[in-house]
Amino acid sequence: MSKRSVLQLIAFLFAFPVFALAARTARAAPSKDELVQILKVVDDRQRNQGDWRSSIYMEQKEKDKVAVVYEALVFRRSSDQKFMILFTKPKASQGQGYLRIDQNLWFYDPAVGKWERRTERERIGGTNSRRSDFDESRLAEEYDPEDSGEEKLGVYNAQVMTLKGKPGLDLAFPVIKLWVDKDTKNVLKRQEFALSGKLLRTSYYPKWQKIYSESRKGDIWYPQEIRFYDEVEKQNSTLILIKTVDLKPLEANLFTKAWLESKSR
Amino acid sequence: MSAFFLDIRIAFLSLIEHRRRAAFLGIAIAAVTALLVILNGLAAGIRGTLIDTALTLSTGHLNVGGFYKVTSGQAGMVVTEYKKVEDAVKRDLPEADFMVERGRGWGKLVSDTGSMQAAVSGIDIERESAFKGVLRVESGNIDELAQPKTILIFDAQAKKLKLKVGDALTISAQTTRGVANTIDCRVVAIAEDVGLLSQWNVFVSNESLRTLYQLRSDVAGVIQIHLKPQYQNDLAPLAARLRLALEHDGYRVMEADSRAFWMKIQDVTREEWTGQKLDVTTWEDELSFMMWTLQAFNGLSLVLMVILVAIMVTGIMNTMWIAIRERTREIGTLRAIGMQRGGVLRMFLWESLLLGLLGGSAGAVLGFGLAALLNASKIHVPLSVQLFLMSDTVRVAVLLPALLGAIALISVVTGLAALYPALRAARLKPVDAMSHFG
Repeated sequence: MSKRSVLQLIAFLFAFPVFALAARTARAAPSKDELVQILKVVDDRQRNQGDWRSSIYMEQKEKDKVAVVYEALVFRRSSDQKFMILFTKPKASQGQGYLRIDQNLWFYDPAVGKWERRTERERIGGTNSRRSDFDESRLAEEYDPEDSGEEKLGVYNAQVMTLKGKPGLDLAFPVIKLWVDKDTKNVLKRQEFALSGKLLRTSYYPKWQKIYSESRKGDIWYPQEIRFYDEVEKQNSTLILIKTVDLKPLEANLFTKAWLESKSR
Repeated sequence: MSAFFLDIRIAFLSLIEHRRRAAFLGIAIAAVTALLVILNGLAAGIRGTLIDTALTLSTGHLNVGGFYKVTSGQAGMVVTEYKKVEDAVKRDLPEADFMVERGRGWGKLVSDTGSMQAAVSGIDIERESAFKGVLRVESGNIDELAQPKTILIFDAQAKKLKLKVGDALTISAQTTRGVANTIDCRVVAIAEDVGLLSQWNVFVSNESLRTLYQLRSDVAGVIQIHLKPQYQNDLAPLAARLRLALEHDGYRVMEADSRAFWMKIQDVTREEWTGQKLDVTTWEDELSFMMWTLQAFNGLSLVLMVILVAIMVTGIMNTMWIAIRERTREIGTLRAIGMQRGGVLRMFLWESLLLGLLGGSAGAVLGFGLAALLNASKIHVPLSVQLFLMSDTVRVAVLLPALLGAIALISVVTGLAALYPALRAARLKPVDAMSHFG
C-alpha cells in the first residue's frame, strides 16, 4: 500500500463517523402526508368507536384565589359526536352540565332552571379546559400539520409539528404546536396560540393509560392526567385527572336536555 | 283688592308682633326647605352626571347597534356595512345632530400582575373632541389613542392591574367566530374614575378592536346618534320611527327592548336566526342597569322628605294651636268690632302662608348656598359611593325651577297645616273669645 493510499484510508476512517453523525443530525424532514398519518394515528389510538363514560377531577388554581375543584362525569358517543358533562361536586355545582346538540354547546344550571347556549370554545366550569379537551381527538380532521423538527422531552423522543386550522372551521385555537412521542404516538405536550401568534396555553400529558374497547375490539389510549398552564396569566393552571373510564354502551336517551335536568331533581 | 292687601298687612304685622314664635317656626321651615333643595339637587346632580358622562362615554341619545350571527349559536355585537346604515339614519332621522361609530367588545385585560374582565370600546379619538372634554386625564396623553394598539384605562383599573402609562397590557378575547385572539396594547392614558361607567370600560382605537375581533373595516359596534337639543326629550317616538324606517329600508330590526345591549346577548344567542339584525335603543335603555340607583336615591329622598314634612306640619299645627289659644281674646275683639269668620280664617291662613313663603325662601337661599359650597369643596367620596353618584366628588345641581318648586311646596304645606286651627279660630264666638283667660 502506497503512502498516499494509507493517508486516504486514515482520512476515510476519521471522516466516516463525522459524515454519519451529520447525516443523522440532518434527518429527512417528514412529508406532510407522513405528518397527517401521525396525526391520524394520534386520533385513532384514542377513538373507541362507541360510547364513553368517565369520571373526571378538575382543579383550577388562580393567583390570589382559592383553588376551585370540580368533579364531573363525561359522556361521549362516537357515532353522532354526542357529548355531555354532568357536574357532581362541589354541591353548589351539582346538577350543572354541558350538552352538545348538533354544533351547539348548551349549559344547564339547575339553580335557575334555564338552558343557555354557549360557544363551543367555552371554558368548562370557568377552568382553562375546553370541551375539545374531553372530547374525541379530531386533530387530523381539523388541522393541517407542518414539521417543526424533533425534540427530546425527558426520556421521550418527540416529533414536533405545528398545526394550522383548516379554512372554514371555527376552532378555539387557530394554531397548535404538538409534541408526539415518536414511539407510542401519544401526545406529550401541546401549545395553543391565538390568531395574533401569542402563546395562550401549554398542556402536558404525563400519563397515558390503555383500556380494552369492546366496540373497537382493541385497546384505546386516554390521558390519565392533563396539566394546563395559562401562558397569558402565568399564575393560573388547571389539573385534569381522568379517574375512571367505562366503555359500555350508554342509554339511548342519555344525550337529552330532559336527562340532564332529571339529574338535579 | 284693598281687602286682599289689608289681609296681607294684618298677617304680616301679626308675624312681626309675634316675632319670636314666627322666627322659631321660620327657622324650622327654612331648614326643611334647605334639606329639600339639597336632596333634589343631589338627585339632579346624579342624573346630570350620569347623562353627561354616559352620553359621551357609552351611548348616544339614540343608538343603532345590533348583532351578527355567523351561526345560530354565535353572536357578535356588530353592525356590518355601517356606512350604509349611517346613510339610512341620516335620511330617515333629520332630528339627528351628529353621529359617531364605536366598537363594542368584551375581553380579559391581563397585566403582569393581575387580570380583569372589561368592556372594550373602540373609539376614533380624532373625531370625538367631546370625549376628551368629559374625561379628566390623570397621566398620559389621550390623543395617542389614535395610534394602533394603544389603550385608555381608568384609575381604579390602573390600580387593580398595577399599571402606569407606557406599560403593556394584553387583551384576550374571542373573535365573532369564537377563535381565541389577543392584542398587546400600550397604556397611553389613565383617566380619573367616573363612577360605575368607568368600572368596566376601557377604550382602544376602532382599528385595534377590529384587529382583536378580526372585523372588516366596514364593521362597527354601534352608531351613536346625538340629537339636536330640541328633540332630546322625544326619544321613544323617535326610536320607534327609526325602527320602522330602517325596516322599510330593508333591514331586519329587533323589537323594542329596554335593556342594555350586553344584557340581550344571551337571548340573541339562544335564538335560531343567523345574519344581521339591527337594534335601536335610547340612552335610557342602555343605562337601564344603572337607573335603579337614581330611582333608589329618589325613593329614599321622598321617604326622608315625607318624614321631615310630617314633623314640620305637626310643629306648625302645634304652634298655631298655641297662637290661637294665646290670641283668643284678640280674636274675640276683632270679631266684636266686625270682622267676619272668613276674615279670621284668612288672617291665620295668610300668616301661615307668609311664614311658609319667607321661611321657604330663606331655606331655598340657604340650600343653594350650601349646594354651592359642596360643589366648590369638591368633596371626594369613597369608591362604593362613587358607583351611586357617578362621580368621584359630590355634585349638587340646584336649578331655578327646583328652587321655586321647593318654596311653593313648603308654602302650600304650611298653609294647609294651618287650615284646621284657623277654621277652629274662625268658629269661636266673640263673647266666649273675649271672656277667655289663659
